[in-house]
Amino acid sequence: MALRDVKVCLLGESGVGKSSIVMRFVSDKFKQALESTIGASFMTKTIFVDGSTYKFQIWDTAGQEKYRALAPMYYRGSAAAIIVYDVTRETSFQAVKSWVHELHRHGPAKIVIAIAGNKCDLEDLREVREKDAQDYARDIGAIFCETSAMTAVNVAELFDAIARLLPPEELGGGVGQTGGSTIHLKGNQGRKSKKCCGGSADGDASSQTGNRRSGAASRASANASVSYPS
Amino acid sequence: MDAHREDGLIDSPNFIQNDDELLNRTLAVLPWDRFSNWIHCACVVTFDLELGQAMELIYPGHVKLTDKEKMNICYLSFPDSNSGCMGDTQFHFRIRQCPGRKSLMRAHSQYNRDAPIALQCDDAHYFGFVYFRQTKDRSIRRGYFQKSVVLVTKLPFVALFNQIISIIAPEYFDNGEPSLEAACHDIDQWPIPVPGDTLNLPIMGTVLQVRVPSRSDKLIGPAQTRSEHGHTVPAHTILPSLHEVDIYSAFLTILPHVQLLWELVLIGEPIVVMASSPTVTCHTVQALVNMIAPLKFCSDFRPYFTIHDSEFKEYTTKTQAPPPVILGVTNPFFAKTLQHWPHIIRIGEMGSIGSSPKLANKVKKAAALKTLDSNPGVYTRYKSFLTKDKAILKRLMKGAQLKRPVEAQNAILRRYLLEVTQSFMIPLERYMASLMPLQRNISPHKGPPKLRPFESEKFLETVEHSGPQLTCGIKGDWESLYKRFFRSPNFEGWYYQRQREVNQKLQLLHLEALSNANLSEWIVDKEEVEIVDLILKIKEKLTFASHHHGIVAKDSVSRLQKQLEDIVSTLPDDLQSVIKT
Repeated sequence: MALRDVKVCLLGESGVGKSSIVMRFVSDKFKQALESTIGASFMTKTIFVDGSTYKFQIWDTAGQEKYRALAPMYYRGSAAAIIVYDVTRETSFQAVKSWVHELHRHGPAKIVIAIAGNKCDLEDLREVREKDAQDYARDIGAIFCETSAMTAVNVAELFDAIARLLPPEELGGGVGQTGGSTIHLKGNQGRKSKKCCGGSADGDASSQTGNRRSGAASRASANASVSYPS
Repeated sequence: MDAHREDGLIDSPNFIQNDDELLNRTLAVLPWDRFSNWIHCACVVTFDLELGQAMELIYPGHVKLTDKEKMNICYLSFPDSNSGCMGDTQFHFRIRQCPGRKSLMRAHSQYNRDAPIALQCDDAHYFGFVYFRQTKDRSIRRGYFQKSVVLVTKLPFVALFNQIISIIAPEYFDNGEPSLEAACHDIDQWPIPVPGDTLNLPIMGTVLQVRVPSRSDKLIGPAQTRSEHGHTVPAHTILPSLHEVDIYSAFLTILPHVQLLWELVLIGEPIVVMASSPTVTCHTVQALVNMIAPLKFCSDFRPYFTIHDSEFKEYTTKTQAPPPVILGVTNPFFAKTLQHWPHIIRIGEMGSIGSSPKLANKVKKAAALKTLDSNPGVYTRYKSFLTKDKAILKRLMKGAQLKRPVEAQNAILRRYLLEVTQSFMIPLERYMASLMPLQRNISPHKGPPKLRPFESEKFLETVEHSGPQLTCGIKGDWESLYKRFFRSPNFEGWYYQRQREVNQKLQLLHLEALSNANLSEWIVDKEEVEIVDLILKIKEKLTFASHHHGIVAKDSVSRLQKQLEDIVSTLPDDLQSVIKT
């Protein structure tokens, strides 16, 4: 079976939960107050999606302003970038847009962008409407979902979605491949439905769990889904 | 700290294979513990108009360097002579560690146990890997920006740290301290350097894959890897070797003298390498030291040495014979200071690689060397003991004509030298084995037998009929070469190492014999004194076992423990209580 290494970086303002998302994904744990990241942390995790094995090399960058200039080292060569904001902080959502700008200007040409609205369990404190973020993501052709590292909602789904959206691996050092910039989608249904993980053919057991866990957090549970760019 | 990192930590094979060990290793990890397994500290050295070279930053901040160490690092982090090193220059140096420090850390002693002897971590020295930048800058008073980033470490991983510093330093120059902080933090996540393991080392957005060499590696033949997935991925950079330098390129301009140089290094002669750039000297010195692998070069060597070095007086004094060290120098001043040195290598710029090298074919008399402007070559009065092997030179020349890749040329030369060194060592190893006491002389009731003394005359008698000329085909006066070798630190180091290994082996066999002997029967007709004697002997063995638990079989230890208990129980009560305390 083919093993594919995937370099992924997490970007976003300080305190939005980048390290918490990675910790939930890699070791399925959650800590209330993680110390802030210095520079970046590196971790790996291997997952199986649609019969292929993906080994994620995750660079979890520091959100603090003083490390801002280092970001290019981490998104350079990345197959995907996850831009995280905090649904309870409007400013963190505005920061997403500047990250998208930067990636479009200086990032790798075929980078898959995913936007994650974290802390969706804090419904009472919400400042960013899900629809606004989703519309923005659709406009720029990014994967979108709201996540909660605390309750585990959509964390695994987020990485699954990235794996599905990766352009086919270039063979022989990437020279002479039939190219074009079209993104090949494996799950065709995902294209049509904004809620591919919720109810479509891709909806599997894990996303169901995601729904259950968010439980009382009313709206979040109803929309616990990952949307693919259309 | 950072408990969240433990689980998904870098997945080196050793981490996967042994969960218990993973637990042990990660439980007690403190911030900077993993960092110091690899690097002592990172420094930034700047040029201050009033002070000259000055230490601007040491990272992490708690790391201690003595004033003398700081001074040496400062001077060695800048080109010595104003040779116009504009732009970026990379090189490395080696300094003495000031005494009075605590000895090797646990990770390093464990590494040393299984690492190839020549790659062991040295308790008394530091390496410094330098990336120097000099650019025009009108905003600075004299119009130049001059700064170096330096990694200080005890590990001789020349190739790795050269690579690492070339990643870290440019980022530092662009983005300042946070990038150094980020880099050091990355290194603080690296797994322990365990010989034989293939490791993934994340550094500033990329991952370097390296294999740590092990003493049990086969020296000839392809390197083994324990890593199963051999695919190359863009996110990985695979570093072919942690420590090897390209000796072919280093010697390119003096290639005809390679065999002579091998002799000089082997017998520990004082050698000075002169070139205009520290990049060239350190490359050449490292190549010289590497030449006699797997034998360890046991004298001091300084890939880059300056007039400000704290050992300058000691090494350049004319009142004594030159010390058996290898120095790399760039300052023209040395041409005079070291005029009395017996062997001087002058290297031109290495930039000419690719074009057909002008070879300095003749060995020149040392006196002919007046200034650093002299032509590249080897200046010595030394007459080789061995006849020149023209075949290897022809092969390399031909390769150069055919534009064979440098990597392949290097591999050919490296292999050739390895074979010559091994041919030289095999008779010694064979003789050493003959000094082992016989198995039947190991008695539980006597002390462990000792290795018989090394008698050079006896050994030399064997050279004529079973010497190195049989395995490598090189003719010459091997006997005299051995005689010179016996007086060198390299022989001393090798002999000491072998002696230690053999004595440890004998201790082990003796312990085994003791644990298997029927001691209860033996003590029946013995005096109390003799029994107490035996008890002390067993206790001594158990202490040995506890210090070498890795190599002593567990059941031998428990058998011995049982023997001890049985014997003690036969003694009168009052004596028992004395012995138990």
